[in-house]
Amino acid sequence: MRLWWVRTLVRLVVAVGLPFAVPCIIVYLIWSLPGDPASIICPPEMCPNTEALAARWNLDQGPWHFFTSWWQSALEGDFGRSWRLEPGTQVADRVFESIGPTVALVALAALLNGLGALGALTGLLSRRFHPLIQVVGLVPALVLALVASAAITLGWVGEGGQLAARVGLGALALGVADAALSSTVSGVHSLVQSERLQRYAQMAVLRGEGVLSNILPNTLPALAGQLRARMVQLLSGAVVVEVVLEIDGLGDLLWRATLQQDFVVVVAAAFFFALMSAALLFFQALVEVACALWVRRTPGGVAP
Amino acid sequence: MKLRQPRFRRQFLAIALAVSGTALLGSNLAYYEESLPSTLNPLFAESMVDSRVHELIFDRIYYHSPITNELTSRLVEGWTVAEGGKAVRLTLKKGLTWHDGVPFSSADVCFTIDAMLDPKTPSVLGEKQRAIFRGCKQEKDNVALVQFLRIFHNPLERLSFYVLPAHSFDGNTAVQPDHEFSAHPQGTGPASGARGRRGVTFTRAPNLHHKAGVGQMSLQEGQDPLVQVRTLQNNGVQGIIAVPPSYRADVSASDDLALKSYDLRSWWFAAVNQDKAYLKDKRVRQALNLLLDRTELREKAVGVKPNEQNSPCEFISGPFVQSSPYYNRAVPVQARSDQEQAESLLLEAGFTQAGGRWHYKDEPITLRIGMKASLDIEATDLLSQIGNQLEAAGFGRQEYKIGVDDWNRVVLTGQAQEYDLLVGKWSFGLVEDVNPLFHTRNTDGAGARNIFGFSDPEVDALMQDFEKARLDTQAQDAYHKLHARLAEELPYLFLWKLDTKSAWRSNVRGNTIAPYYYWTEFDSWKYKP
Repeated sequence: MRLWWVRTLVRLVVAVGLPFAVPCIIVYLIWSLPGDPASIICPPEMCPNTEALAARWNLDQGPWHFFTSWWQSALEGDFGRSWRLEPGTQVADRVFESIGPTVALVALAALLNGLGALGALTGLLSRRFHPLIQVVGLVPALVLALVASAAITLGWVGEGGQLAARVGLGALALGVADAALSSTVSGVHSLVQSERLQRYAQMAVLRGEGVLSNILPNTLPALAGQLRARMVQLLSGAVVVEVVLEIDGLGDLLWRATLQQDFVVVVAAAFFFALMSAALLFFQALVEVACALWVRRTPGGVAP
Repeated sequence: MKLRQPRFRRQFLAIALAVSGTALLGSNLAYYEESLPSTLNPLFAESMVDSRVHELIFDRIYYHSPITNELTSRLVEGWTVAEGGKAVRLTLKKGLTWHDGVPFSSADVCFTIDAMLDPKTPSVLGEKQRAIFRGCKQEKDNVALVQFLRIFHNPLERLSFYVLPAHSFDGNTAVQPDHEFSAHPQGTGPASGARGRRGVTFTRAPNLHHKAGVGQMSLQEGQDPLVQVRTLQNNGVQGIIAVPPSYRADVSASDDLALKSYDLRSWWFAAVNQDKAYLKDKRVRQALNLLLDRTELREKAVGVKPNEQNSPCEFISGPFVQSSPYYNRAVPVQARSDQEQAESLLLEAGFTQAGGRWHYKDEPITLRIGMKASLDIEATDLLSQIGNQLEAAGFGRQEYKIGVDDWNRVVLTGQAQEYDLLVGKWSFGLVEDVNPLFHTRNTDGAGARNIFGFSDPEVDALMQDFEKARLDTQAQDAYHKLHARLAEELPYLFLWKLDTKSAWRSNVRGNTIAPYYYWTEFDSWKYKP
């Protein structure tokens, strides 16, 4: 365990690199499509003088030029204007107003998973519920989102499809679908169970100490890893839920911009998704560092 | 029971959405459009939806009154001919303002013309206007001299473009499609418009020449037609721009709703790709024309019974609706199929039949048929019905539905060469200029809407005659000949004109619907929730 910091360091490096790598990969993917990007956005028959448009949109000197100029503007908070999805609209405005609903959706779904994890950790959530959670988890997010959509449009929940109702039901669908909640609960259960069987934990029980306080420092990094993986899963699922439930979030924006081939919106939306993933990686690394320091500073140590 | 499930699902969804729509009752006037507009800048209009939306926000210099049919203007006080007929001097009305309060002046008229003439403005519309206008001079604050490249017998007809505000672009005539103006435009029209993520909101913008009766109105993107109609019945929205024929009976049955005619001069066609070796021969295209049983197609796709009176669907034999002065009545319509004559034409063209399939140069022919997907709402399963008829006649078929975006960007730009037949619809206002559809494509912008690159010198010459016509009779004569020529050459299999009907709730009053532009008389519209 002396090299515990290697994985943490890798996570930090990835967290820093992700917001650069994702837009870069997307830009190169755009260039790999047949035809030049400006003509894809607006064919010459529809947009006379496509060359001028290409120059205006920095599409005329290859992917690297586009990527670097995009980054330069992005650092100043300027993500350009939409070309096709909503021509003339500031991409930054659309992206920033989309972050709120997405964060709310994912946070609520994560809260549900967090409560499940807490229940499993403390033993409040009995293993008897596992089959039920697992059966619900077999349903894809798309199906649950459609059910939620029907519930909203039928007026069973919320009035006239209010945003709160859509986000609430969307979070519920997102939180339990695609085995999100069942994986969280069973993952935490297994982790705690295996750690309880460790000699140091059993010694602690014999000493009359609480098991949880003993196993937590050892399980926390793994739990943080699980939580991050779940959050990434929730972020991906949010795209489907937002599209089906017409939530004006980042996923919906990314989806519609992709359909319209509005690359400047696609790159910006993907960049913010990458930022969120990076933040999660950073959080995991932080927990790992904190646990390592805790273990080292605790008198006598708690690790086996 | 299985067969009834899809219908049940749709009705379930319709009821669900109608219930949710009811919650919006009493907010503002809301209506369903076919889709969201692609831009709010009229220089970059791509679709009918764009044209309708722009009519609410902007003013055209001259327009045809939908009530008197006279060419009139809300912006111009008077005009005189200048420069020996190659220019007109416009005197603008005083006291008009843009939505942001800036006074409207002749500088704006000249700016608009300059923007269209600027080669750095990447606009198809602008490119077309470059063949008409030479320039514009601001003589006084309210006087503009509009110069043409040549003498037109109807110069004011050429001034039916929307005026843009010079101050919104800081006078820069190289107008770009991603300028902020495309999302938040300033106009002089009856309402200001703001594009949102799922719709457009229009707010009354009182002016000296506009006093709209509706305070606020919102455009929503229409989904399934059944959902639209149910939502309208439940007052979730107050209007639908286009109600498909099969749902009109439902609307008519309600006392709270009224069907209104929308004169769009729309006609349907199946364009034929003559670049394909087996479709090059005129006789093959004529045979395909004879193989289509339009009466059956109309019955199955539109729901019109064979002897129905006042049918919303009228067959055509050329690129004009029957009520058009350009329609050549001497060219007969092909209402029923004629298999025998079609077979003989195909045999003459070198086709052979083996195992019930037509072959060309020993290869069995499979036709790739595409259709603009949104047309399915108006004529359900038309694509399959056409495929069925051609298959029954001995052709293999593959069917493709093409999304609106691909239709605009691939089909209309002449890049859909992989298809053999493309089913679509064209809509026109009072000026039915079909030159962009059939003229040989060239770098000057001619033939900009020529789907399969059809080229015929005789057709080009007739179109030039139409362009040069100084009198209406000359223009009619040119287009009558064009109609006959196209009915013989058949770059398109001409199908029918299908009436467009809107539906509005009866508490929306004074709702005069203008041909093509729809909202020209928006000031007279009133709505009491």
